[in-house]
Amino acid sequence: MNNTAASPMASATSSSGRSTGKSVSFATELQSMMYSLGDARRPLHETAVLVEDVVHTQLINLLQQAAEVSQLRGARVITPEDLLFLMRKDKKKLRRLLKYMFIRDYKSKIVKGIDEDDLLEDKLSGSNNANKRQKIAQDFLNSIDQTGELLAMFEDDEIDEVKQERMERAERQTRIMDSAQYAEFCESRQLSFSKKASKFRDWLDCSSMEIKPNVVAMEILAYLAYETVAQLVDLALLVRQDMVTKAGDPFSHAISATFIQYHNSAESTAACGVEAHGNAIQPCHIREAIRRYSHKIGPLSPFTILALLPRLECGDMILAHCDICLPDSNSSPAKPLK
Amino acid sequence: MASAPQPERALRLLARCLIWYPPPPPTVGFLSMEEEETYLELYLNQCAAQDGLAPPRSPLFSPVVPYDMYILNASNPETAFNSNPEVKETCGGFSSVDLSFLPDELTQEDKNQPVIGSKHETEENSESQSRLPSPSDIGLGSNSPSLSNPHSQQHPSDTDSVQASPEKPDSNSLPLASITPMTPVTSVSECCGIVPQLQNIVSTVNLACKLDLKKIALHAKNAEYNPKRFAAVIMRIREPRTTALIFSSGKMVCTGARSEEQSRLAARKYARVVQKLGFPARFLDFKIQNMVGSCDVKFPIRLEGLVLTHQQFSSYEPELFPGLIYRMVKPRIVLLIFVSGKVVLTGAKERSEICEAFENIYPILKGFKKA
Repeated sequence: MNNTAASPMASATSSSGRSTGKSVSFATELQSMMYSLGDARRPLHETAVLVEDVVHTQLINLLQQAAEVSQLRGARVITPEDLLFLMRKDKKKLRRLLKYMFIRDYKSKIVKGIDEDDLLEDKLSGSNNANKRQKIAQDFLNSIDQTGELLAMFEDDEIDEVKQERMERAERQTRIMDSAQYAEFCESRQLSFSKKASKFRDWLDCSSMEIKPNVVAMEILAYLAYETVAQLVDLALLVRQDMVTKAGDPFSHAISATFIQYHNSAESTAACGVEAHGNAIQPCHIREAIRRYSHKIGPLSPFTILALLPRLECGDMILAHCDICLPDSNSSPAKPLK
Repeated sequence: MASAPQPERALRLLARCLIWYPPPPPTVGFLSMEEEETYLELYLNQCAAQDGLAPPRSPLFSPVVPYDMYILNASNPETAFNSNPEVKETCGGFSSVDLSFLPDELTQEDKNQPVIGSKHETEENSESQSRLPSPSDIGLGSNSPSLSNPHSQQHPSDTDSVQASPEKPDSNSLPLASITPMTPVTSVSECCGIVPQLQNIVSTVNLACKLDLKKIALHAKNAEYNPKRFAAVIMRIREPRTTALIFSSGKMVCTGARSEEQSRLAARKYARVVQKLGFPARFLDFKIQNMVGSCDVKFPIRLEGLVLTHQQFSSYEPELFPGLIYRMVKPRIVLLIFVSGKVVLTGAKERSEICEAFENIYPILKGFKKA
């Protein structure tokens, strides 16, 4: 029910956004972010625009659902608890979010202790700000946890494989850079949505919402936006890797129709002489990633398939697949082709 | 990151050495500062003369400068690890020694200036004994006969935590050690003479009497008190440049000092201010709670590599904070490592911990040097 309510609205906003050309665009920042996440030195503008669209849709969706949850509670603002509630189903993502919140707390604590003035400011402000996000998260999860699974996440020390993979990729990327390139890379890595808070708010059109998110909720939203971009890049790189036929690949004779289609398009773009961006992620990679892995992308991944439909407009074959994407299909990752 | 206030402070120091301040009119808290400064300077000049390392600057310089010079000369306090347990003992012993020697009620200072002066000097000696380099012990030996404490044996080991004299475990060799000129020790160390500079010290002390914050705020200079905002008086003194939070229970927090000595000196000054206002202030349980140091390894560091290999200790979220946060287990110090090569160390209770932590991290950082 949530999905059907969300999707027409999502498509409405997204289509209007795309037609008018949003005044607020994160395309350039996204290009830098994608570079820092593993893309080529100069990511394509089209790819950035596509990624921006996807992320935007996801976040609008999330915000609307969060607003509904807030309304149910009778609250005036969207709080982090609402966002945590929406994400309760996906343990891995939730855990990553919690870890991020703790690191944020820890960093504030350390950095405050360093500068004498900050220390005094902190004492003067009187309120017990230490570990505030951790407290929020803990209290909330305590209240909704029935089986003890959620609280177990606080003690969970498993290695996050996705994060590990990202770290390794970054390490590989930076190993071959010289110091000037590395300096540039570091700067791109420091980009985030939270640094441009006001632009981010405008982008999400928060002012037109009845129930607005509070400060910590905005932090979480910025983080989730960044995570979505990171996921898209991860999966697009995976898709791109798949597209390259390796010698001795046992399944090379069993390539699917979609693969051929994308491969052709990739070749044609190469033929057009876009070789300068040979390493850059193409929009077709992103689309294929969405098609294949849409249940993984975004904070509310099981629920966002329909929201992503307008993005997948690159061919009849794809649209045919989309018809099969029913609201309850989140349980089956393997969708029947055609 | 932490170097921003440094040019300011350097300028201030420079300004001081150019102008000779006439003694300010007797106001609470200031008269004693000048007194102490002159005594301290006399004493320090004496020390400097003894070891031939006379500060090239005028005696007006803040007393901390000679310490910094000594520190810069010392390349490598890594050998001071052994002194850690002793240091702790000494510190504990010190507070009892201090108090027994100098009455907590510093009221005698008003009556008997010269006596107090020398007493004060010796008190400073005893404090600085724990911090100053060993050559100063010669002077101390003669000046402080009353400091016949059983802990004197451990002083050399204490000084070594600051200095890097290799002879620390053997306290009997003290006289010999103190005569040798202070050459940088063991260039075999990997640190190439980089020693972290202390940037900030937070300490606490118990004045052991209930205080009327309003009265303090009204009568003391440079004091602010806003009960609605925060339940303590915020007092500042210029020399050493520090800030204190004084609570009505008698507890006090002193921040902003650049060395252990300065922190103690500043705390005593605040205590004297409070005392002059009529409260029976004492000076109990002076303890350094946190020390922050910083230094520069002078090469760019590839943080992605570091975070991968030292995952269990480090966290690096560049979109959150540009530096890598490294939680060292032994000693328990948090280091902030930046791409530029600047390193900030915090969480130490003692100077030796900061030096040790830097010793530990330096080879690791060299491994991730970005060519």
